[in-house]
Amino acid sequence: MERAEQTREVISARDLGVVACTRCLQVWPQGVQTCARCGHKLVQRDLKSLQRVWALWIIGFMCYIPANIYPMLRTRTLFYVQEDTIVGGAIELMHHGSIGVAAIILIASVVIPLAKFMAIAFLAISVTRPSTVSQNQRQLLYEVVEYIGRWSMIDIFVVAILSSLVQLKVLVAINPGLASLFFALSVIFTMLSAQAFDSRMIWDAQQQGKGQKQE
Amino acid sequence: MNDAPAPVPIDPARESFLGRASIVWVIPLIALVIALAVAWQSYNDRGPLIAVQFENGAGIASGQTELRFRDVTVGVVETMSFAEGLDGVIAQIRLEKEIAEFVDAGASFWVVRPELSVQGVSGLDTVLSGIFIEGSWDSEVGPTRTQFKGLETAPLFQPGKDGLQLALRTTPGGSLTDNAPILFRGIEVGRVGPARISREGSFAIAEAIIYEPHGRLITRATRFWDTSGFSVSLGPAGAEVDFSSIASLVGGGLTFDTFVSGGGRVSDGTVFEVYPDQISARNSVFNASETELLELRVIFDENISGLAIGAPVEWSGLRIGSVESLSGIVDADAFGDNRVRLDVVIGIQPARLGLQGEINPERALDFLSTRVGEGLRARLATGSLLTGGLKVELVEVEEPEPAAIIVSPDEIATLPSTDSEISDATATVEGVFTRINSLPIEELLNSAIGFMQSAEAFVSSEALRETPQEVRALLGDMRGIVASEDVQNIPVTLNAALSRIEAILAQIEEGQAVERVVAAIDAATEAAGSVNASVAGVPELIDNLSSVAAKAEAMPLEELTEQLTELLGSADAILSTSAAQDLPASLGAALDELNATLAELREGGAVRNVNATLSSAREAADAVALSSRDLPALVERITEVFDQASRTIEGYNKGDVISRDAQAALRDISQAADALTSLARLLERNPSALIRGR
Repeated sequence: MERAEQTREVISARDLGVVACTRCLQVWPQGVQTCARCGHKLVQRDLKSLQRVWALWIIGFMCYIPANIYPMLRTRTLFYVQEDTIVGGAIELMHHGSIGVAAIILIASVVIPLAKFMAIAFLAISVTRPSTVSQNQRQLLYEVVEYIGRWSMIDIFVVAILSSLVQLKVLVAINPGLASLFFALSVIFTMLSAQAFDSRMIWDAQQQGKGQKQE
Repeated sequence: MNDAPAPVPIDPARESFLGRASIVWVIPLIALVIALAVAWQSYNDRGPLIAVQFENGAGIASGQTELRFRDVTVGVVETMSFAEGLDGVIAQIRLEKEIAEFVDAGASFWVVRPELSVQGVSGLDTVLSGIFIEGSWDSEVGPTRTQFKGLETAPLFQPGKDGLQLALRTTPGGSLTDNAPILFRGIEVGRVGPARISREGSFAIAEAIIYEPHGRLITRATRFWDTSGFSVSLGPAGAEVDFSSIASLVGGGLTFDTFVSGGGRVSDGTVFEVYPDQISARNSVFNASETELLELRVIFDENISGLAIGAPVEWSGLRIGSVESLSGIVDADAFGDNRVRLDVVIGIQPARLGLQGEINPERALDFLSTRVGEGLRARLATGSLLTGGLKVELVEVEEPEPAAIIVSPDEIATLPSTDSEISDATATVEGVFTRINSLPIEELLNSAIGFMQSAEAFVSSEALRETPQEVRALLGDMRGIVASEDVQNIPVTLNAALSRIEAILAQIEEGQAVERVVAAIDAATEAAGSVNASVAGVPELIDNLSSVAAKAEAMPLEELTEQLTELLGSADAILSTSAAQDLPASLGAALDELNATLAELREGGAVRNVNATLSSAREAADAVALSSRDLPALVERITEVFDQASRTIEGYNKGDVISRDAQAALRDISQAADALTSLARLLERNPSALIRGR
């Protein structure tokens, strides 16, 4: 609440009549169309940001579905071929007693991506309607989402490394499954979706609310 | 930029939907389209689902086990479930679309598992990859079917493997190795599938395939035999173990060969018999049923026992068939009388006729028809002299009555017959036995027995038994007569008489009565000559006589006289025996006179009575000369002997060895007596010979 109290006194750049470049953070007076330093287009508010967020979010989610249906890893040994989906593999690991590893895989491949989807969706929704969550918390959530998004690629790294290392011809071979591609796409699109979110809108909602109150 | 206008409020005028929409929406749309397209395509590409029922689901994994056709995956088992009634498992197999239409009613499915057998290893790849289901179907689209029954093993006939499809059948009581390779010259050219036992259980039958292009090796004359196991033979070359290969030794196998040419190509489904070994297979070419039999009917006028079903049908000594059935037939319309005829159906094996080209009953019938036109006939002949069994023989008759094979569409063709040639050994033997039987053996035996009995009675009769004894007694009597002292002493007596004559003559000489003697001697000489000529043994006698005379001369007269008396007595006795009765009376008289003379000598002086004696002697000599004129030579010799004797006596007078010499002389006398014995025998046989010179 303390932070919430503080945020109330936050004055947005728009209020000050300036606009900041979202790339190099150079502040320009309003009306300047292009950042003279980095050449980035200067916009007060990205009006289509939410659309991009949602579009990319949808693609990411679409990719996440086959990423869980198709096998992530195709392990071919001398006697059998095993294809494991993300969840199936984790469960199998758990059956084998590697609960820690299973937990890591589950967290990295299931919990975090799902949390990300929810977080982005929450942020995208929260900017358009009143929210009980304070702007500061939402800002923090956004930063966490953006920061953690890249770590979801750890699964892809593991698959890539295993596939390249474990290629012992006939004896054993590990190949990436179809899911790895979708999972990578899903991570990429969720990252893009998160990036597409214009975090400034978090504060606009407050101002709008404030303005409405003022009016 | 400070002169920029104050921020305008949000334009209330709404932009168009497309204007407000971000271009980024294209991406999810494309993704959606792609996803939908992929989904639709995958759904569209999905082939139909077929259900294959197997005995068990060993190794079949849902979603993993593949269905392969020519070792290319064309489907995957989606689910496994139990069949109705739990009597099997059903694998639901998702086929690939492009192959689905070929999986029709003729398709077959089986599970390929790794298999280690004597013939080798198969399905080794399934060790690593897991088992898979192999499907087989032809390349033609047939009626669709979704329910199949899986096979336990790979089918023998697969569309991918072309070959001649055969069926192999065991000989009755034979055996068959199934699931085995068919080898030819050591190369696997085919395979026998699993065998099944016929419903009656009398033989086993198995399908077999001969892979192309080896099908041309099989003709109708081909014989198959089992090469499993081994054979051990002991012969002059040593022990021999024979087997074709280790694989076939352990796992069995079949091989085949075509021993004779002339068999045509065979078509799929032909049934062949499998023989236990090569020898029986080879033999079977000549005695097995190669093709359909040509059945012919023969009517024999005679109805002779001895023909049996299975009896051989021969042509030129070669068996070409056998008698199939026998029956009697009475058909007055056809034969003109009501006699029972022999209706024989013979089965002729066309292959045995040695026809070239295709062999079938029709061709054999044509061939036989031609030969019947040339005189071929069937007849009954003796098959076995021992059993009297008959056979049917096809012979060519010289100058035959025209005949032909009667062919009627519904009945068996009839082969004309001719007179039987039955060397009726049985009948002959029977005749002999009948004749022997009719011999009056019993009467003969009865007669013989009667004869034997009579003979026995005769032989055992008292009279006959006594006969030998009587004969023996007779012989004994005869021997007694011959051996009687009297008979034997005849010569001795004679000898003594002669000796006495000798002595008398010596005394006459001594008494110088030579001139008187001369006449006597002359007569005696004549007689002796005759005797010499007629009697061969006389010289010895004369020798004896001479020696006797000499001794007599040396002996005292008294003793001599006594001896002579005894001798003459004996001689008298002999001469008085019945045996000497035939002696001439003149000799007897002479001896009587000699006796008288000797008596006078005994009584008085010798010289005084000499004259009378000499006259008597002369008379006796005359009588002797009369009766035996042939004695002059003897007398001559006696004279010589007398000379010698006198000389000898003179020599003896000088010494005192007289007594010894006398003993020797006595021995000589006995020798002379022996000689006289033989003479006596002669005389015994013919007493008058000495006297009569005959």
